[in-house]
Order: sequence, then C-alpha cells, then structure tokens
Amino acid sequence: MKRPVNLIRTVLPLLLLLFSGWHLGQGMYIEAKAWLAQVLLQQAWSDTLTGEQQVRPWPWADTWPVARLRQPRLSVDQIVLAGASGRTLAFGPGHLFGSAQPGGSGQSVISGHRDTHFRFLQDLRIGDRIELTTRQGDVLQYAVYQREVTHEDDTQVLYREGRDLTLITCYPFDAIVPGGSQRFVVSAAPVIL
Amino acid sequence: MCQNSSSGLLRDIVYTSVLSLVTGVVAAMGFALLAMLLSGQASASDAGMEKTLHPMSIDEVQRGSLLLKLASGGLSVDAPLLYTDVSMQVSGLVNRVTVKQQFHNPGEGWVEGIYVFPLPENAAVDHMLLKIGERVIEGEIHEKEQAQKIYDEALKTGKKASLLRQERPNIFTMAVANIGPDERVEVMIEYQQDLHYQSGQFSLRFPMVVAPRYIPGIPVAEREVSGFQGSGWAVNSDQVKDASRITPPVVDPEMGSINPVSLEIRLDAGFPLARLESRYHGVDIVEGQSGLKTIRLRDQHVPADRDFELIWSPRVEQMPAGALFTEQWQGEDYALLMIMPPVGAPASRLATPREIIFVVDTSGSMHGTSISQAKAALKMALSRLRADEHFNVIQFNNSTDALFGRAKPASLQHIRQALNYVEGLQADGGTEMLSALQRSLDGKSHEGLLRQVVFLTDGSVGNENELFSTIEQRLGSSRLFTVGIGSAPNSFFMTRAANFGRGSFTYIGDLAEVQEKMNALFSKLESPVLTDISASWSQSDGVEIWPARIPDLYLGEPVVLAAKLTSGSSQVQIRGMVNGQPWQQQVTVAGGAQSKGVRAIWARRKIADLMDQKAQGRAEEEVRTEVLKTALAHQLVSQYTSLVAVDKTPSRPLEEGIDSKNVPTNLPSGWNAAKVFGAMPQTATPAPLHLLLGLLSLFASWILGLFKAGKRQASNTAMAGR
Repeated sequence: MKRPVNLIRTVLPLLLLLFSGWHLGQGMYIEAKAWLAQVLLQQAWSDTLTGEQQVRPWPWADTWPVARLRQPRLSVDQIVLAGASGRTLAFGPGHLFGSAQPGGSGQSVISGHRDTHFRFLQDLRIGDRIELTTRQGDVLQYAVYQREVTHEDDTQVLYREGRDLTLITCYPFDAIVPGGSQRFVVSAAPVIL
Repeated sequence: MCQNSSSGLLRDIVYTSVLSLVTGVVAAMGFALLAMLLSGQASASDAGMEKTLHPMSIDEVQRGSLLLKLASGGLSVDAPLLYTDVSMQVSGLVNRVTVKQQFHNPGEGWVEGIYVFPLPENAAVDHMLLKIGERVIEGEIHEKEQAQKIYDEALKTGKKASLLRQERPNIFTMAVANIGPDERVEVMIEYQQDLHYQSGQFSLRFPMVVAPRYIPGIPVAEREVSGFQGSGWAVNSDQVKDASRITPPVVDPEMGSINPVSLEIRLDAGFPLARLESRYHGVDIVEGQSGLKTIRLRDQHVPADRDFELIWSPRVEQMPAGALFTEQWQGEDYALLMIMPPVGAPASRLATPREIIFVVDTSGSMHGTSISQAKAALKMALSRLRADEHFNVIQFNNSTDALFGRAKPASLQHIRQALNYVEGLQADGGTEMLSALQRSLDGKSHEGLLRQVVFLTDGSVGNENELFSTIEQRLGSSRLFTVGIGSAPNSFFMTRAANFGRGSFTYIGDLAEVQEKMNALFSKLESPVLTDISASWSQSDGVEIWPARIPDLYLGEPVVLAAKLTSGSSQVQIRGMVNGQPWQQQVTVAGGAQSKGVRAIWARRKIADLMDQKAQGRAEEEVRTEVLKTALAHQLVSQYTSLVAVDKTPSRPLEEGIDSKNVPTNLPSGWNAAKVFGAMPQTATPAPLHLLLGLLSLFASWILGLFKAGKRQASNTAMAGR
C-alpha cells in the first residue's frame, strides 16, 4: 500500500513545520532574553548604586552593571553591562573593557546589538541628549555631535581625545544575516549643565 | 485506489513534479528575497542617511595614524625615541650586563621621557650612570619615596635627572627629566644575574618588551592621571593598584617597529662547548682566545619586540657535577654554589597513579602564534598519556571552561574528545586567571595519587601577587608546572608560580620548539623528584643561604645556593629524598673562581625570598624593613628602593614648560592588537534571520499541506463516486 510519495506528502510538511518552529523559537528567544534581562538587571543596578561592587544579576552571570543609559526622546532606559563579549551583549549594551569608565578620564565606548538594545541608534539625531548614570550615582549628560558608518577594522574611533561617549552598533540596521563588517558609530561629547 | 493503479501512478508523478516545483520556487524565492534584502540595505541606506555618514576605507584610516593608547585616551605626537645597546659578560654561572638607553627628544619643547621596560626577573640592578655630553653622574640608591622626591625636585628646577624604579621584579621604569629640543641623553644601567642551568644546558634570556598585561578587577582611580603619576593605558584597578605604571603605550604594528636594540655577548663558559645558539635571533659568533666567544646580532639592530635567548652546553664528558663562584666584599665571603644531583636511572619511573590537569590560557593575548604553540603542545601532551592515567583540559579567558566535569581516564575515546576540544580552542577576551587556578588547584591532599597541573599561558597579567597567594593556599598535594608561551612571556610570573606550586617551568618561544620542550617537561613529570632538600654546614653560625627553603628538584635541575660564608664554614652536606630513598652529597666549599657580582646575586636572592614571604602572608612592614636593609647595603633596586641621579646645574630655563611623555613600545611579535585591546564588537543577533527562515518554512509547509488536503479531497470524491 505504501508508496514513496506518502513520505514526501506527510513527512516533508511536518519537517518544515518543525524547522519553522525551531527558527521562530530561536528568534523570539533572543528578543525575549534581551528584554527580560533588562528587567532583572534593574535590581542589580539598584544594588550597585548602594555601593556594592560587581553585582552579578544572576548567579552564573559573568558580567555586572556599570552604568545606566537613558535617552528621553526615544524613551530608552537601559542598564549597561561590563564587557562587550557576545554573551554579555545578549543581555544588554556592553561597556568595552579597554575604554575609560563612564565619567572617568578618557573616552567611554559602549556597544549594543543593532536589532535589540541599540536599534534606537538609527533614530538618534545630532544634538540629542544622552544621559549616563555612573555607579557612583553621578548623572552625566552628553550631546550627539556625529553619526558615521565605519569599517570594523577602523579602530580609530576607539581612540578619541577627550571624554567622549561613543556608541557602536552593527550596520546596516535591517540586514538579515549577522556578522557584517560595517559599524554605525554615534559620538557624543559631555555637556556641562 | 488499488484497482486504479495506472491512473494513480500518473497522478502521483504529476503531483510529485508539481510539489518539487513549488518547493523549488519557494526556496528560490526565499534565497532571492534574502539576497535582495542584503544588497538592498546597503544601497537604500546610502540614500536615506544624512550627509554625516561617510564610510571610510581602511587604507584611508590607517595611513599616518599612530595608534597610541594613552591614559588620556588621546594620540601622542613627538614621543621620545629610544635606542638601546646591551653588552653582556658571561663568566661561568654569572652574567654581568650593561644596558645603555639613549633618549632622543625629536620635538621642539622640553620633555620628560618615561620608558617602561623589562629585565630578567632575577636581575640584581646595582648601578646607574647618567651621561650628559661628557659629564657622567653616578646614581645613588634611596628609599623609593625619597628617590622620587629627589627626582621631582630636579624635574621642577630644570636639572637633568634620571630615576630607575622597579615596578615588578621584571618590569622597570626609567624616567629622564629635562631633555631639551633635539637633545640626546644617555642612561646606563648595570645588573648581574645567575644563569639558568638545566639538563646539561645553560640559557640566558633577555626580555626586550613588556607585553601588555591584562588588568583584572574594577578600575579605582577615575581621576585624571598625568605625568609620572601614571603613564599607561590601563586605569588602576582594585586588584592591580599600579596598573597604569606597568602598561606603556603601544604602537600599532602596522606602523612598523620602534626601539632598536643592539646586543653583544662575551661568553667565557669555562669549558669547551658542544652547542651554542641563539633561539630567536640571527647572530654572528666570533672565536676569541682561550675559548672566549663573542656573539653579536646579525642585524645590527633588532626591534624590541621579543625575548632574546642564548643557549649553550658543554660536551657530555665535560658536564659539570658542580660549580663554585666566590666573591669577597666588605670583608665577607659570598659564594654561588651549584650541585648536580645524580640523574635517576630511567628504570625508576613513577609507579604512583597519576592525574594530570592541563590548563590553557585562551585570552586575547594568546591569539595567533601563541595559541598555535599551546595547541601543538597540548596535543603532544595528550598523545603521551597512558590509558591508566586520569586527565582533564581546562581553558580560561573571561571565564573558565572544562572539557570534563572531573578528570577522566585517558581512554582512546576520551583522548579523541580532548583532541577535538583542543582543536576548537580560540583565543579572545580577558585573562581571568584566578578562577582557573581555583578550579584546577583543589586544595586537597590526594593520598596515593600524583596530581600534576600543567598551566600553559603567556602570563600577561598584572595581579601576580594575588595569584601567588592563591597557589600557596590551594596547592594541597597537587604540583603546578608552568609552560610559558609566546614571544615575550612574563618570566617573573612563570618562575615564581612554579616555585609556589612546587613544580617547574618551561618556556616555549617558537612552534619548532614545542616537541623538544614538551618532551623535556614530560620526562620531568614522569621521573621521581628530589624533595626535602636541606644543607647543613660544618660551622653553621653566621652562614646565610638563599633560598632558605630549597625547592623540590625535577629531573635535570641542579641545587643552586647563594651563601654568605664564615671562616670555618667550608664543608656542607646536602641531603634530600628521592623516591623515598635518602640522598646526600658532601661538598667542600673551597677554591672555585672569583667572580664579581656574586654578592649582588646573593642579595637579590635574599630579597626575592623575602618578597615571597610577603605573598605567603608575612606582614608587609616586616618584609619591607628587611628588604630595605639588604637593598640599601648592596645598592640594589627593589620594590622599596630606587636609583636616582641628578645633574648639579639646571639646563632648562624655567620660563619654558615641560611635557611628560611616554616612550611607546612595540606589541610583542606575533600579537594581534585587536585581540588585546578589543576591536569593534560584533553587534548583531541572528534573530531576524531565524524569524525569516521560520516564516518561510512555515509558508512552505502550509503550501504542502494545502496540496495534500486537496489531493485527499480529490481521492475521497473519487471513492464516493464509485
């Protein structure tokens, strides 16, 4: 009774369905993780503000909050984590270890995923304010003065004079496949109020 | 359906073709859509973005930009230039070295030049000369703070001055004050060291560059760092209080090499040589009278970007059984004594069951040639394991990861798994060595089990002391063997960590050396150890020997003692245990060769031993007092003493200001700047891709489902109609 066609007719759609389900699941998991982690991080951040060092947001975390990043116009409010490894960036924007601490001497560099936390970079305009709260509780104001697209090998943007805040994400924003070689770099200078 | 098989077959053929067509179309459309999306982004974005967006090519950017990492985050111009000339005089076990550093200020204004440079970890630095034109000023030893004060005063009043500080036993800073526009100032330092002898081979290592160190912990000093208070790119952190002092600015390798070094060695080995070679640099060797050899670099100058190593060995029949070098200084006798224990017969291989844990550093500094060396070494080690031995592989960078939850027998399958694991190792990220040490050293005493930890790393960390304390506390009955990898490993960390871990250290500086060095290491791991070594003197009053506790010795390692002697102390008995059997040797300390520098080596060893006691938990104030006494008496630079030289007359008109500038250093050969300092992070997730693929396949399965349903309906109708 069984004919080979049956295999194609019943198994293939099922396989495709499974395949589809797995990918949809993966995609949504990444988005959900990015969102949920920020919720968990709020607690770790308030502990950090009370003076605790290296508060790990969950026991097995290999990172900790270092700053809070806000952009009122775009209703952005995110906790910035230490380090910019792939594992860290899944949960929030990451502060590059080699760069100065926010509020410290020198340039601070923060990077984030272009399709989750740092998607808002594409909507930042010249002159927009960015607010950064340090672990000591100081609130620093920055103003965006430049937006540019660079190649990933052009590390010069990482070595700027002064106390700039530099935000980096991948470019183009809507590319489907990750791993592109271009970067979108937003430079902001400290503003004294 | 069965009766109507011919028409059924036809229908199936038609159906299958349509199905493949549809699947193909869907797939093709999917790919086309993907391609369109990808290419479309770039062009669409060009049009949509503001004018401020101007993608730059790599060529445009790198041309003419000197990549200097400074504490202020800026670019430095007119950095002082540096030329180094090294001359060494080797006689027997002692090497006396003169390092000439010439600072040149190419700029228009007055500068203070600061240079962070390495010396061997056992260097006993006891002389500094500041040369200004024809005048020579002799450096004086002072307590560190006092020396700094003297120097700062000279800097302020426009006098030329130089200050040599020790930051680590193998990292020093030279500061030269008031170098005029286009002026050259020369500083000469002198040190001596005892040479390394093992398995019939002498080696002399001269490091040329301080490799960028990973600074764990949280930055503490967030104030502006400037001038001599801090001169590097790493801000101070809570684990490494002086981070900014040991991390000089680094020049991008793309810009070419800086800091040329010339080197000349006069070698008086004291016996005919069977082998003499330089491991990593081309050299010319000139034979002199009575076996004296002169070794020079083939290229007159080499960039200071990797360690220099010279090795030599005597002919087999001339292998020394011992060596004695003495010096009389201020009415006292000092001796450097080396005794070769008898080499255990190969038959006495270890019978105890063994567990061997390999720990490999996969941080960014290991990227490139270093990780290849580490992989080759690990693979070789794995292939040497016997089936009855247990093993595990642990890697660490920002975090620690192990191959197995706990050590497993070295069965074929496990070895295969391990080889795959090692093949897949990638070097990136930080060097959080502490957690790797905590994981591999369990602090337990393993009854009837020989537990050996083999630690492969370049040791590029700044928190050495914290790591030593951890090893000390958690060693238990395990033994730690360090394997230094790469072109400029941190030799201070390697040797001291092995010392605290009661193991030994091995250097691998080149892929070609892996086999030879790992074989030697494995011979040590598999041979019995000489333990509980002690020395008793015929007349022990007033005799002071360093190290106070003689470390365990592995195959091929000699007992080396530095001693201050008294008149009656000419007989010494050295005792130890090999494989549970007592071993002893009687030595008459008389004769030997006079050698200048023995007393400095003795004092250097005493200071090293005292500093170890600090890591073992002795109060810093006590250690400091004792180190100060020794260092000041012997004019040695140490953690608590510096050499300072000041010109009498001011040279800089005070109305002209002065800038403090760091001498940039090379990145060690084979290193990758992006992997060390961090590059642009990858900041895209595969989420959109997943979502797109998911939707596409959902669509495809829906289409297929439709077909199936349609077909079923058709056949149902046919059945009903019959």
